[in-house]
Amino acid sequence: MLTETKFLLPFINKNTTQTQKQSLQKLSTVFRFMLYKTNAKSLLVTSAIVSWVLLLGSVLLMAESARQSSGTMLMALPYINNLLIIIFILSVFVFQRIHANNLKGIDFSSYLWNLFSKAAVAAYLSIALYFAYKLATDSMGVQSTLLLHLVYQINFGLLVYFLAKAFYIWRQLLLYHKNRFLQVAWDWFELLLFSTLTLTLLNFNYTNYIFLPLFVLLGLYVLFLCTNLKWVAYLSFSKKSRSLVLLGAILVSCYIFTKFFQEFADTAELVIDYSDVGFLLLAMGFVGLYTLAAFLVSLFSLPTSSVFEQKSEDLLNFQRLSQSIQQGQSEAQVFDLLFESTIKASDASAGWLEQIRGNNTHISHLLNINNEQIERIRHLLMAYNIQHIDYINNNLDRNSGFRDLALPWRSLIILPIKSKKHVFGTLYLLRDIEQGFDRETTNVLRTFTSQTILTIENLRLVAESLQNERYKEELKIATQVQESLVPKTFPSDSWFEISTHSKAAKEVGGDFYDFLQLSESRIAIIIGDVSGKGISAAFHMAQMKGIFHGLMQQDMPPSEFMKQANSALSRCLEKTSFITSSLYIIDYRMKGFMFARAGHCHTLYYNAMMDDVFYFQTDGLGLGIVRDKNYNNHVREMYYDYNPNDVMVVYTDGIVEARNPDETEEYGEDRLKYMLEQTYHLEAEDIKCAIINDLEDFTGPDNLYDDQTLLVIKFKPTQPNI
Amino acid sequence: MKITQDIKDSTIIMTLDGELDASSSVILDEELSAPEIMKYSKILVDCRNLNYISSAGLGVFISHLQRFEDAQIKLIFFNMQDKVRNVFEILGLDLLMTIVTNYEEAITIADE
Repeated sequence: MLTETKFLLPFINKNTTQTQKQSLQKLSTVFRFMLYKTNAKSLLVTSAIVSWVLLLGSVLLMAESARQSSGTMLMALPYINNLLIIIFILSVFVFQRIHANNLKGIDFSSYLWNLFSKAAVAAYLSIALYFAYKLATDSMGVQSTLLLHLVYQINFGLLVYFLAKAFYIWRQLLLYHKNRFLQVAWDWFELLLFSTLTLTLLNFNYTNYIFLPLFVLLGLYVLFLCTNLKWVAYLSFSKKSRSLVLLGAILVSCYIFTKFFQEFADTAELVIDYSDVGFLLLAMGFVGLYTLAAFLVSLFSLPTSSVFEQKSEDLLNFQRLSQSIQQGQSEAQVFDLLFESTIKASDASAGWLEQIRGNNTHISHLLNINNEQIERIRHLLMAYNIQHIDYINNNLDRNSGFRDLALPWRSLIILPIKSKKHVFGTLYLLRDIEQGFDRETTNVLRTFTSQTILTIENLRLVAESLQNERYKEELKIATQVQESLVPKTFPSDSWFEISTHSKAAKEVGGDFYDFLQLSESRIAIIIGDVSGKGISAAFHMAQMKGIFHGLMQQDMPPSEFMKQANSALSRCLEKTSFITSSLYIIDYRMKGFMFARAGHCHTLYYNAMMDDVFYFQTDGLGLGIVRDKNYNNHVREMYYDYNPNDVMVVYTDGIVEARNPDETEEYGEDRLKYMLEQTYHLEAEDIKCAIINDLEDFTGPDNLYDDQTLLVIKFKPTQPNI
Repeated sequence: MKITQDIKDSTIIMTLDGELDASSSVILDEELSAPEIMKYSKILVDCRNLNYISSAGLGVFISHLQRFEDAQIKLIFFNMQDKVRNVFEILGLDLLMTIVTNYEEAITIADE
């Protein structure tokens, strides 16, 4: 930490925060790592060059001294030479190890090209060098051990470079799609391989009986590693052919190097015999065997590669089909994709696709077939009654109907594109051979069609949900409109208080209440409930509001209003609909109110004079039930004098018929009555709140099945002087 | 909601079992709209197991009321639970429809 801080000293001042310090440290680590990598690379290059030059110098020196001392081998510094060899080999290998990039993509043939162009050409260079040397010695008669050593040393350098490059390129390909076991196996192989360098360092002969079995075991290990050739499967036919050429060229390189060093093995003139370095033999063994294995596997998988290509293309097309929703494609594009993919997957020679929209069938895609032929085939299919069903005929000639059509095709498959609910279309594919649609192909084709169905249904669902979203918006507007139909505030007067509550079970409801000031001292209050719920109820509720305002302009008694309202509603209400309503006309000059009930819930009342809570039990038939003059016999009117502090509770059946969570009990008139008995002394607002709270306790949260409306009217003791 | 029919000569006995709400009232409407129902002169509705009737359910009976009356078919409800009867009464239907306590009474009234 201390050194770290010192290192960053120029960047740190008192104001540098802890996070800034941390990020600076991180930055410096990355920077130093990069520096390290570059440094390591140049260091390795330097050490490789230096060791090779030193080795060359030493070899030439020894050869010269050997020549001068006429034949007697001067084994002066074998250990130093060995050390130099090891340093050179290690430098080159480690350099290539760092240099090797991670696999990018699956363009394996470019790796092979890389291997060939950068490494395998070394072999051709070396053979050229060898021939030049041969030419020089044979034709010009130059006999120089120094020249021999120079050529030998250069070839050694080239060999090591080739092996290192090939070794690490093969490593990458070998470890393609690796698992943990393979990674461990490889790491051990690398370790064991490099450990054989110690034999060279200690000048042991690997052909020794002790080491030979070990070498054989390592050879078997190599054989096992050579079975990992997964990358070959990913080569397409054309790439495989190219790879075969490159692999052949690399094999030739291996052969050239092997041959060259074999040729010079045990040459008396040579100071160092590199065929004695076991490491090189093993590395060459690995590179050569792996190349051979790759070559053979590529060669023999060449005939099957088209199958693999087809499968991977099918897979790609499935992906495209299933992703077409995210990519916002249209149905037409999905059908395009289906037609293309199925033609390719089945290798069909002709085909067409019919799309069904409503009752219309139209041919949207055609391949190598004309409309007249299609018409003839369709007629025949219609005669057989096999138009929109799964149908395969792998031998059309055997069927007399098809034979008469004289079609150039021998196999036909019909694939309906339909879900349980919809028929989207039908796909027809034809092939010019018998047994053209085997089970395997048919399965693939069916998968394509079912994926298409899924995609199209999803596309439609997406469109539908957008539509629903629009409906929801419109319903929201309906809710707002309906809310505006219900008065928010009543005229505030000193002689009565009124408090209201209303809640719809759905976006819009069928409950309503309203008022109309008839004269200075008289006000009409109406409450009503339309049978049913939702939109239709909301329409009738608006109608009722219109009737109320229309009729009450003429100021009529409540019973008369009910008769006329019934007559008006009889003409516009659906047969199964009816409306219940109560109308109160309060006259505070007379200190009384007149009311009529049309099938609506009984009015709950608290009489302050008698200190009694009761329901007004009056007869009255709902509106729209009897739709003729007979209705007039079914409505009663009542007049009642109120006292100061009297309370009137008016409500809809959503209140008394509200149920508890297990739906066994209704809130009921008795409980409502009990609530008023407990609260009549409160203000109207507080009475309402008490009742609603009790109701919500009873039903539990979010348990609203019917619209609820509650009005609490309390007559005040202080009467204005009018 | 389960509706069962029991036919005796010119009498059809409909037994309502469950809750008559917006969805089940559609089934009831279908049963009452069937043309063969007009063959009978008496329709007795057994409400013993009718636990709840919504305004939609009431609407179905109301909509057929006039038709049955015109065809001189008697529509009689019996065995009605108190809370269901209360719903009929509040709406004023007890004055329009015949609601009796039990089957025997229903038969007697039907045969009048």
